[in-house]
Amino acid sequence: MSDQDRSRNVFLVHRIRDEDDDEEQFKPLEWGLVRRLLTYARPVRGKLTVMLALTIIRSAQLPALVWVTALAIKGPIAHRDIPGIAAWTLGYILLAIVTDSMFHFRQRYALEIGETVVNGLRADIFDKTMRQPMSFFHRMKLGRIISRVTSDVEAVRVGIQDVGFVSAIQFGQMFFTAIVLAVSDWKMFMVVVCMAPILWVVNNHFRMKFSRLTRASQESFSRVTATLAESVNGIRVTQGFVRQDTNAGLFRSLLSDHSRYNIALARTSAVLAPILELNSQFFVATLLVAGGWRIFHGSLQADDLIMFFLMANIFFSPITVIGNQYNQGLLAMASAERIFRLLDTPPDWVEAPDAADLPKPAASGARGSRGARVEFRSVSFGYDPSRLVLHDVNFTAEPGQTIALVGHTGSGKSSIINLVSKFYLPTSGEILVDGREIRSITGRSLHAQMGTVQQQNFLFSGSVLDNICLSRPGATRGDVNEAASRLGCLEMLDELPDGIDTQLGERGAGLSVGQRQIVCFIRAMLPDPRIVILDEATSSIDAMTESRLQRALAMLLRERTSFVVAHRLSTIRGADLVLVLDHGRIIERGTHPELLARGGHYASLYRQFVQVDDRR
Amino acid sequence: MESPPKSAGEGLSNPVLIRRLFGLAWRYRMRCVQVLAIQLVLLTMGLFGLSFTGIGIDYIRQVVAHGAGGPPVSQVHFLHMRLPQGMAPMRVLEVLGGLILLLSSCRAVLNYVYAVKVNILVQQKLVVDLRAEIYDKLQRLSFRFFDANTTGSIITRVTGDVQSVRMFVDQVLIQSVIMVISLTVYAIYMASLSPGLTIACLATTPILWILSAVFSRKIQPEYAENRNLVEQMVQYLAESIQGVAVVKGFGREPENREKFDGLNRSVLTQQYKIFWWVSLFSPTAGFLTRINTTVLLGYGGWLVAHDRLPLGAGLVVFAGLLDQFAGQVNNVATIVNSVQQSLIGARRVFEILDAPIDVRTPADPVRRPKLDGAVRFESVSFKYGALDPVLHDIDLEVKPGECVAILGATGSGKSVLMGLIPRFYDVSKGRLSLDGIDVRRLNLDELRRNIGTVFQESFLFSNTVAANIAFGHPDATQAQVERAARIAAAHDFIMGLPNGYQTVLGESGNSLSGGQRQRLAIARAVLLEPAILLLDDPTAAIDSETEHEIFEALDRAIEGRTTFIVAHRLSTLRRADLIIVLENGRIVQRGTHAELIKVPGPYLHVANLQLVDGRELQESPGGAAP
Repeated sequence: MSDQDRSRNVFLVHRIRDEDDDEEQFKPLEWGLVRRLLTYARPVRGKLTVMLALTIIRSAQLPALVWVTALAIKGPIAHRDIPGIAAWTLGYILLAIVTDSMFHFRQRYALEIGETVVNGLRADIFDKTMRQPMSFFHRMKLGRIISRVTSDVEAVRVGIQDVGFVSAIQFGQMFFTAIVLAVSDWKMFMVVVCMAPILWVVNNHFRMKFSRLTRASQESFSRVTATLAESVNGIRVTQGFVRQDTNAGLFRSLLSDHSRYNIALARTSAVLAPILELNSQFFVATLLVAGGWRIFHGSLQADDLIMFFLMANIFFSPITVIGNQYNQGLLAMASAERIFRLLDTPPDWVEAPDAADLPKPAASGARGSRGARVEFRSVSFGYDPSRLVLHDVNFTAEPGQTIALVGHTGSGKSSIINLVSKFYLPTSGEILVDGREIRSITGRSLHAQMGTVQQQNFLFSGSVLDNICLSRPGATRGDVNEAASRLGCLEMLDELPDGIDTQLGERGAGLSVGQRQIVCFIRAMLPDPRIVILDEATSSIDAMTESRLQRALAMLLRERTSFVVAHRLSTIRGADLVLVLDHGRIIERGTHPELLARGGHYASLYRQFVQVDDRR
Repeated sequence: MESPPKSAGEGLSNPVLIRRLFGLAWRYRMRCVQVLAIQLVLLTMGLFGLSFTGIGIDYIRQVVAHGAGGPPVSQVHFLHMRLPQGMAPMRVLEVLGGLILLLSSCRAVLNYVYAVKVNILVQQKLVVDLRAEIYDKLQRLSFRFFDANTTGSIITRVTGDVQSVRMFVDQVLIQSVIMVISLTVYAIYMASLSPGLTIACLATTPILWILSAVFSRKIQPEYAENRNLVEQMVQYLAESIQGVAVVKGFGREPENREKFDGLNRSVLTQQYKIFWWVSLFSPTAGFLTRINTTVLLGYGGWLVAHDRLPLGAGLVVFAGLLDQFAGQVNNVATIVNSVQQSLIGARRVFEILDAPIDVRTPADPVRRPKLDGAVRFESVSFKYGALDPVLHDIDLEVKPGECVAILGATGSGKSVLMGLIPRFYDVSKGRLSLDGIDVRRLNLDELRRNIGTVFQESFLFSNTVAANIAFGHPDATQAQVERAARIAAAHDFIMGLPNGYQTVLGESGNSLSGGQRQRLAIARAVLLEPAILLLDDPTAAIDSETEHEIFEALDRAIEGRTTFIVAHRLSTLRRADLIIVLENGRIVQRGTHAELIKVPGPYLHVANLQLVDGRELQESPGGAAP
């Protein structure tokens, strides 16, 4: 591989652009946002009031301490007044004690207020997100929600804890120092003031450049990590195809590319710090020459000059601090806006106010009557209403029937399941459950009578027991065991390392695909649902587990109204009604033998499917 | 589930780690020395600048008090410099002012050079070298390592942990030396002004050090706990959203909210504890430095009053020095912190650098650029470390060009059995030979180039389609790539992509369907014209409706090669010359489909499950004869 190719490849490695990248990183101060953030500080309202007082006091205290020092030096010390020295020293230490004890509260309250706001924001984000209908999760990437709860919330925290209170104090400090200096000698003070804007402009110019470069550096770093992640995930391929050296060269060029940005970043910040220092030294030199000239001409006290030397420092230092805070503040504003935009996202639909619970019929042992009756009346639906994925769907599932949904990927099978689950509402038409329109039924009561098994067999970290009981909080171990034995897979639970108490990693790590599906079956079985929703897994489960699954599946579907996105022939054959879907329309319906006899779309689909098995 | 042992961590003791970190720094010694030399010059210049200011103040006061021709300004002058006599007072001030400016300009330039040099050392040399070294090592580690460590943990080692390690050089070593030199120089200079005042003012320093040590010990576990709690909260959020369909499907939103609120609240409560400590420590530390100022005012003032210390070059300079001294003292806490962090990082980084490469080419390998493809297992066993064996006494002989299908449940050892052939793992017992040569005696790269592998998950890289197909042979011509694509029945759909062969795939190739990705993986494998083809359940991640898409590809790819294929479907099993059924790492049945279908056993059981479906077609009234 030539060097040219390699450098071309560096730029092929790109991070998938998130919409976040296009959002602004900085946002000017906006009072509406600040006010809204402060509403989250309501639980600590008292502290907030105290903080206001503390902020003002502290901004006066810091200059006061230096002022006392300066006065002590130019007064009693310069005039060799021993009792005066003692008195001023005592005064200084007393002021120091007061200052630092108040600092404890100043700091603690600032931190606590910030944390309270952040905490409220996080709770709100979670709450609002979980209230959103499924369509929201269809659009919103997990990573974006996570970055709201982590990096954005952290930026807001810094904004409150540091930018808000510290900047206020720094401004106050400048203000009080300016008063002291102006009162002692306004001409000399003018010299000081002239320097302030220069400092401000220089500092901000570099900060802006700095944040631009930071972004470029972060981008190049994400190329490094993306490549790294790919290399680790694809290590088996790399080693299998003996690509180690090529990859190492590519990675090294990515690294040097990244280091180039870092050095540029370092050069920028390396210019700023010396310039700031040079500025303050320039001031010292000016003060010495200009002050000396005025002293020699009798218009300034020699000892006043000392005060200027000491106090100039606390006049200048806030400028750089505020400059840094200012940038942080812009970041915090942008983050706050992103958070509020998430919080303010209106749900696509909310539950009708007059929705009532779906009554659960008294458990009569009578066969066949246990399921619910579900009817689709000319239902059309689109995730985006302008692009329908279901057109005029009509069918009725009588209590206890199994409805198999068959069709290619994208034909609308999952959409039907999503509608029955009330994850989405139909764009037009009606869905009736036990004769009642689905919009007038509360989602919670509907879901309480529903058992769902999804294709990806999602399990949470925690024990197997926790995962199963998710469908019926308060269920006992006995209930779980009973549900498992009704499905005929009790022994499969016992085979797990710690039985039902086996701890699962993230997303159910630690179980095989088959085991995960069994746990999901038991989870769906536990609440003894009237409606079962099942999206069969497509990934091949080894044939031996498969046979056990089929038995359990038959038990799960018995005497319940069930909707199955079917991939297994055995499931389709057992169904009371097979709906063949194509491009969002039901093109054929009937039982398996009926459909085969018709020799239409289903029959050819079936032949194709079976022939794969029978090629030789 | 196979659970291989975690790589042996915890191994390196702190002294060993520190010695190795010093060794790392030694590699960059010239650059470190340069950086330190610049700091020393900067320090000296800073002292000059400060003393010029003091001298200026004293001079002005003296001129005001005695007139220009009075006695020498003060008893103590930095390095015994004396102001020139007989110069006009304004001239003297102008000279002093000019000197201060000159010095600070030089300092500014040097500061810049220093910052850039440190960054080049760190970002351009140290970090790049370390990362490249780890990456290189990572690629050569055997599969066992990747079985035992998660992707996340490996990535942190190359990103975060490397930064912690380099901190040892620039934050710990260089900063410590700078700190020691500065503190010594400041202390000596201060002592030269007034030994008594120096001792009095620095008395609080040890207290501050002890205090920060206690504080840091107290707060470290709290911070660790905090990270833990935050992590739990974020993980819960992530899971709730990933599994939102489950949560909503079972109507569990209120319970979830409650759980999250609990986690969120526990972060808050724990943070409050940290805030208490922080707000106790920083005012105390601040107060300690103010005690210094108090001493300076009281005792220093007394000294000035008794003419034992000049006001400007003495007291004011002292105040300035004290300030800088305090800055360096505070550095100690940072340095101590950095040591902790870099030790943690170093342990994790060295763990990778030290990890033995257990699969490597022998010293005197047998060169065999082109193999025929005869494979022979002789009572082969395999186990991860000290765990129970995954494979027991496997005996198998395969002639060139034969196709072996492997059937077995998850965890029965199918993937490991295949992984032994390209030496992704090495046998624990027994012998595995290709063309009669033990695989461990072959040149590793040549061995692997003779084997084409299609994995269960077809991992594609974010690169062009052509580059992905030519992955194992980057210099392949376009004609070769196309030929491979045609064999894998991929050419047509590739031509339908926006840029044909030059289409760039998204991360992990997620813009293609499962069947398309798997066909690219097959093209990638056949491009090498391998003698042996390993297919690990290639239809696993594919919809049953689109499965037939890749059968054509497989048929052509298998032709003329020794093939091992993990399969569950009868259609695939039937075409094999030999079927082996694995159970718990043992071969429990072997034979052809025709043989196995006649005897009771696991194979017949599986076959029956699938045959039921197959027969029905013939029985069904409308079904056309096959």
